[in-house]
Amino acid sequence: MKQIRTLTLLAAAFLGVAAAQNPPRDETLYITGHQWGPPSSFNPVGPVRAWPVNEGGGFNLIYESLFTFNLVTGELDPRLGASLEEGEDAFVVTLQEGTAFQDGEPLTSEDVVYAYELGQRQGVEYASFWDYVTAVEATDERTITFTLNQERLNLGLVRNFLTSVAILPEHIWSGLEEQEASLVQFANLEPVGSGPYTLSSANNERIILERAPDYWGEAVYGLPAPTYLVHPIFASNDAANLAFSQGQLDLSQNFIPEVWTLAEQGEPISTWMDEEPYYLPGNIPMMWINVSKPGLDNPAVRRALAYTINYPLIAETAMSSYSVPVNASLIVPGGGEDPYFDPEAIAETGWTFDPNRAVEILEGELGAQKGDDGIYVLPDGTRLGPWEVSAPYGWTDWNQALEIVASSAQAVGIDIKTNFPEQSVWQTNMQNGNFDLAMNTASGTSAAAPWPRFRDVLDIRGVPEAGQTAFWNYGRYENPEVAELLDQAAAAPPEEQGQFYAQLDEIFRTDIPVIPLMYRPLQFYTFDSAVWKNFPTAENPYAPPMHSQSGVQVFFNITSEAE
Amino acid sequence: MIRSLFGNGRFRLSFSLIALIVVTALVGPRLDDRNPLFAVGGRYDEPSSQIWLGTDAIGNDVFLQLMHGLGTSLYIGLVAGVVATLIGVAIGTLSGYIGGLLDEILMGFTNILITVPTIVILVLLSVALQNRSTLLLGVIIGVTSWPWTARAVRAQTSSLKTREHVDVAKLSGAGTFGVIMREILPYMMSYVVMAFVLQLSSGVLNEAGLSLLGLGPSQSISLGKMLQSALQGEALRTGAYWAILPQTILLSVIAFSLLLLQSSLDEFFNPRLRRR
Repeated sequence: MKQIRTLTLLAAAFLGVAAAQNPPRDETLYITGHQWGPPSSFNPVGPVRAWPVNEGGGFNLIYESLFTFNLVTGELDPRLGASLEEGEDAFVVTLQEGTAFQDGEPLTSEDVVYAYELGQRQGVEYASFWDYVTAVEATDERTITFTLNQERLNLGLVRNFLTSVAILPEHIWSGLEEQEASLVQFANLEPVGSGPYTLSSANNERIILERAPDYWGEAVYGLPAPTYLVHPIFASNDAANLAFSQGQLDLSQNFIPEVWTLAEQGEPISTWMDEEPYYLPGNIPMMWINVSKPGLDNPAVRRALAYTINYPLIAETAMSSYSVPVNASLIVPGGGEDPYFDPEAIAETGWTFDPNRAVEILEGELGAQKGDDGIYVLPDGTRLGPWEVSAPYGWTDWNQALEIVASSAQAVGIDIKTNFPEQSVWQTNMQNGNFDLAMNTASGTSAAAPWPRFRDVLDIRGVPEAGQTAFWNYGRYENPEVAELLDQAAAAPPEEQGQFYAQLDEIFRTDIPVIPLMYRPLQFYTFDSAVWKNFPTAENPYAPPMHSQSGVQVFFNITSEAE
Repeated sequence: MIRSLFGNGRFRLSFSLIALIVVTALVGPRLDDRNPLFAVGGRYDEPSSQIWLGTDAIGNDVFLQLMHGLGTSLYIGLVAGVVATLIGVAIGTLSGYIGGLLDEILMGFTNILITVPTIVILVLLSVALQNRSTLLLGVIIGVTSWPWTARAVRAQTSSLKTREHVDVAKLSGAGTFGVIMREILPYMMSYVVMAFVLQLSSGVLNEAGLSLLGLGPSQSISLGKMLQSALQGEALRTGAYWAILPQTILLSVIAFSLLLLQSSLDEFFNPRLRRR
């Protein structure tokens, strides 16, 4: 009996502790869709990063960037930077007044210079920034001058770097640089940034941020409404969506099939638009091809593969009709990139779902013959597969799209199998070139689009050999014509860029280093206004439908019901 | 003997159910040779006269998948059942008959395995293997689920080995293997058959569990994979009952009829349990 009582007490104590860890609901915003596995690193310059540093400074919650990109206006909004003067030789950034880090130290132009110059010394994601900029100098305590590289002028991309690089406290990181053997491997479990939130706790179930006590930006932006931001970690979309449909979450970036059914079921759940297509298109999830694998190294095989895939089915099922079937182009139709989109060129040299054409290429052009198992074998004896195509487990829209890819290819006679490992495994393998086929996006709509997407897919410059971390061109595709066209496109004024994008798109359609599978929004933006009100929508677009970048304004403008 | 077996109502019911399921699994896929992994419609199309049970999240025919998946699931269950029963009986008889240090070692090993949850070993093994064929998956499930059978068989063997006919066989010069095969095993065949039936059922359910975690057989369809696809496609939330109910019901019926079969066999072999 005594034992039972002790046990009961113990259980009650545990429950009490658990309850105490739950921050008050009306002061907490629950966000989901940015973290899929245990958080292991909060290092904004590391290769695999947890929310909210997984976009470098892009989320502007713990670390901040100088500016943020606004998907709706296409402009840069101020954040740490107050103003940006774009000259022909240089960009001049003036910092906001009173910028400071969470430990009380002031954030000055020296810290900005330090963060960018880290790219010269360490293998960080933005190391290629230095291809486009020759010097970053602190003109005075609040002014920074970015001297542009006249040889490789790329205004759009430099603008992009202003919205993504996290400004780090030099007084902490210069010490770390000396202590740590490799700064990019440093886990940074107690991050100190300049943003409105600090990391409160992180474990395998969730990441909790707490509002920073003395946010420098209070005078400029006010304070964000939620005291706590909690990101519960769900292994898959369906688990997150179930919790969302039950009102446990406020802001979701998960893919939710048939999202309109949620509102019908009674929760006050809305999207950016209240009718089709519900979200703003902004990105192209695509299948990256490792062009060094025997068989896949042949562009004609890749072309045949492109013809096998049932794109309309992917759009209707895996994308739940949120977008039209994808085209054989790296340009997102509609929105800011639309002027560059060329349906005639696509019709002429592109591909569509056409299994018969795939067979013609395989048998006619390549002379491949079907083996007893129904899989084609090239004349040199190379069997078309087994190739594995991977995406993170639980990314249900991508998982379903790849099931369609695998069965489409099998139907014609190319042996493709799906593999859905944990996100970090998928990402590491892809970046290291240790894959056959992998699904991922290239750069989405941004201040520089579509330039970075062409760079991501076609440019070998800045891509280390297989075995080391690549941040783009995972398949290590090489073409000597690409570099010059990219540089010309970058340096040209917007109205003249089209011709270069047309040529680059043509190279993509000829060599097919990736196969676009679907269009998707930059970020899924679905919210539940039971606890928090005044989320932006197409009718009230004070902030864009984004979680990161200018979407940070959402946290400052929503209001709690209690008020 | 067969007649008295069929005199048992529970046996008749379970046997007919299992026969029906097995015949469906064997004949079903042959009636329609379309590949069940190729789409025939859109996302969650409702059941119609052409597509009897509608389509799943990526436009596959649910009825066609059910016909093919049933066979895969039964096959995996069968392989798992055979493997688990073979290992369990081998270890159990050796341990029980020879005794001594070997008994200690084998049973120690068995007890360790029993304490580790099967699903953990299953998940680790499945993750480690890149390509999981249906045969391999059956074997994996089999090699992780034999310990209970081994324990029970050992108990039976220890009791059987003290019988006089075993002594007689030993005196007439029979070796260990011969005694086990001729004097021990036949006397507990009824038990082994029942254990096999239970292993069969747990094999089918284990496949469903593994597939639900995304570790199902590669490149094929099974009842478990259909369940996983329905969960991931959020059939329940979006009201596509036809994509989640059929395989759920079928799995329950398989497990139920196998359990019923086992209990009716138990009744048959153990006259004391028989109802007058």
